[in-house]
Amino acid sequence: MRLRVSTAVETGFIAVFWFMIISGLTVPLMLGVGYLLRPKGKNTRRKMTSYECGEEPVGSAWVKFNIRFYIVAIVFIIFDVEMAAIFPVAVVFKESIANGTVALVFSEIFIFVALLLIGLIYCWVRGDLEWVKGVTKFAPNK
Amino acid sequence: MVQSAQFAHSLEGWFGFLPLWGWAAISAAIVIYFLALPFGGLATYVERKIAADMQDRIGPNRVGPLGILQFLADAIKMLGKEDFVPKGGDRFLFNLAPLFVVVGSCTAFAVLPLSKYLIGADVNIGVIFILAVTTLIAPGILLGAWASENKWSLLGGLRAASQIVSYEIPVALSILPVVLISGSLQMGQIVDQQGWTLFGENPATFHFWNAFHNPFAFFAMFILFIGGLAETNRIPFDLPEAESELVSGFNTEFSGMRFGLYALGEFCDVFVMSAMVAALYLGGWHIPFLDIEKLGFALPTALVAMVHLTVFMVKTLLVVFVVMWLRWTLPRLRVDQLMGMCWKGMLPIAFINVLGTAVWMWVFKGQSMMQLLAGHG
Amino acid sequence: MDLVLLLAEIFTVASAVIVAFHPNILYAAVFLLFAFCGVAVMFLFAGADFLAGAQIIIYVGGVTILILFAIMLTQWLYKIKLVDIRNKMLLPGVLAIGIGFFLYRALHQMALSLPKLTPEALDKFTATPKTALMGQALLGSYLLPFEAITILLLGALVGAVWLARPE
Repeated sequence: MRLRVSTAVETGFIAVFWFMIISGLTVPLMLGVGYLLRPKGKNTRRKMTSYECGEEPVGSAWVKFNIRFYIVAIVFIIFDVEMAAIFPVAVVFKESIANGTVALVFSEIFIFVALLLIGLIYCWVRGDLEWVKGVTKFAPNK
Repeated sequence: MVQSAQFAHSLEGWFGFLPLWGWAAISAAIVIYFLALPFGGLATYVERKIAADMQDRIGPNRVGPLGILQFLADAIKMLGKEDFVPKGGDRFLFNLAPLFVVVGSCTAFAVLPLSKYLIGADVNIGVIFILAVTTLIAPGILLGAWASENKWSLLGGLRAASQIVSYEIPVALSILPVVLISGSLQMGQIVDQQGWTLFGENPATFHFWNAFHNPFAFFAMFILFIGGLAETNRIPFDLPEAESELVSGFNTEFSGMRFGLYALGEFCDVFVMSAMVAALYLGGWHIPFLDIEKLGFALPTALVAMVHLTVFMVKTLLVVFVVMWLRWTLPRLRVDQLMGMCWKGMLPIAFINVLGTAVWMWVFKGQSMMQLLAGHG
Repeated sequence: MDLVLLLAEIFTVASAVIVAFHPNILYAAVFLLFAFCGVAVMFLFAGADFLAGAQIIIYVGGVTILILFAIMLTQWLYKIKLVDIRNKMLLPGVLAIGIGFFLYRALHQMALSLPKLTPEALDKFTATPKTALMGQALLGSYLLPFEAITILLLGALVGAVWLARPE
C-alpha cells in the first residue's frame, strides 16, 4: 500500500493532486486579497439581515420543502450505482468484438439497461416522476 | 511506458533541470492560472459582448480596447466590495462553499486533452474523473445556499442540487457510447482514435470524430450538450438563479469576491462541459481530414502541441459560443418541465443511444461510418 | 508520497471522528463528505483508480446530497444540539471497539494470506489501469453477482420510490 513518486507520475495522479492543491489555495488567496483591500464597514443590524426584497425577513429561512427533491436524489443514487457498474463492462466491449465474446458482453449490457428501464417505466406509470403532486408543505415555520 | 502526465513530460523534455513532480506542479499552475481562471474572467466579458451584439447594443467598451479589460475592472471592483455573512447564517459553511465550487471545476481541467503533449494528467479513468470532481459542485452550491439563511438562496440551492444530480445520469449515459466505441476511459486515447487524414494511410484504430461514428453517437452528443447545459445551470436550465423568481438564486447573499468565485467556478464548469463535447465527440485536437503528425515530414513537438492546442480551443470555444447564444434564444423551463425532460425525455433517448451504439459496433465490427465509406478493412 | 498517504489517512480519520462527535448534524454530514473524499484518495494509493472515481461519484455526488436533503427536509434536526450522546457513550463505545477489533483481525488474516510482492511488482500493480480488469472480472467469475446486483437495484428503486411517496 505505497505509491512512489515515479508511479504517481506514471499514472498521472501527482498532477491531479497539484491541481487540487493549487485551485484550493486560490480561494483563500483571492478572499485574502479582498480582505486587505475592502473597506471595513460597520455591521448594522439592518445590513446583516438576509435579503428579502427590502422587507423584514419573515420567520426562519430554513423551511420545509417539497419532498420531490428527496425522491429525485434517491432515484439518482440507484441509477448512479448502475453507471458505476456498467462502465467497466463498456470498457471491455470493444476488445470483446475482436475475441468473439461480444454476445455475452452485449447481453449483459442489454439486461442491465433493460431492467433499469423497467424500473424507470414503473416510476413513470405510477406518477412518481411528476413534479407537482398533492399538497406541497411550503410554509415558513413560526 | 504510458506517459500519463503529458504536460509535465513535455515540459521536462523541453526544459529539463527539474524533477517530474516539480514540472507537474508547474503544469498545474499554468493550466489553472493561464487557462481556467482567465477563461472564467474573459467569459464574463465575452458573454456581455455577445449579448450586446444579439440585442443590437454596443456592450462594454470603456476599459481597454473594445472593453476587453472589463473583467479586470470587475475583479478589482469585487475585491473592494464589503463582504459579510448574514446574521442568521452559518459562517463556516458560508466560507467553505465557494471552495467546493472552485476546486470541483478547476480540478477537472487536469484531464482536459489540450493537445497530445499537453494533458495535465492523462489518468486512465479520464472521463470518470471529470464526472467525479464536478460532482463536488452540487454539495458546494447546496451548502452555500443553506448557510445563507435566505429563502431565495435555499430554493435556488435545492433546485441546483436536484437538477445537477438528475442530469448527471443522461450525461454519464451519453459518455457511454464513446467508451463503447473507443474501449478506453483515458482522454488522450479517446481523442487520438478520432483522427482521419486524406493525405496518407489511416491506421485501423482511426475512425474520424465520434459524433460521426454512427447515428446514435450523433444523438448522444446532443444529449451530452443539453445535459451539460443543465449541469452548469445555463439557460434554458438556469432555474437555480432565475432572476425573475428568485432574485439571484443560490448566490443571493454572496457579495464581493465570494460571488466572483462562484461566477468563476460556473464559467470554468461551462468550459469543462464544452471541452468534453469537443474532446469526446468533435475530435478534440484533430484538424478535420488532416493529421499534422502524418504529413511525411516531422514537425517539432512544440509546434505540434501549439497547433493541437489552437484547434482544441477553437472547437471548445465554438461550443461555448453556442451555450452563450442559446441564452438569448430559448426561454427558461419550468421546474416540472425540467424534471420531466430529464427523466422522461433524455434518459430513454440516452438508453437507446447506448444500446444502438452497441448494436452498431457488433454488426459492423466496430467500424465507423467513415471507415465503411472508405471501404476500410 | 508516503507522506501524502499519511496525510490522507489522518484527514479521513479526523473527519470521521468529527462526524461521530459533532453536535450539529449538518456539520457531521459535511465532514462525512470529507471522509468520503479521503477514502477515495486512499483507494488511489491502493491502485484502485476506478473505485476511487466511483466512490466520489456515488458517495459525494449521491449519498451526501441525499443526506443533506434529508437533514434539510427535517429542519428541526438542524436546530437541536445532540449533546446528550456524551452521557450514553458506554454501550456504543464498547460495541464500536468490539466491531473494530473483529474487522482488524479479519483484515489482518486476509493480508497474511495475500501473496508477498516485491516493491517493484507492487509499483507495477499500482500503476496498472484497473477498469478493464474489473470489466473482465464482471464478465467472468462475477457474472452471477453482477446480474444479481441488477435485480437488487431494481428492487431498491421500486422500494425507495414506494416508501418515499408522500401519501
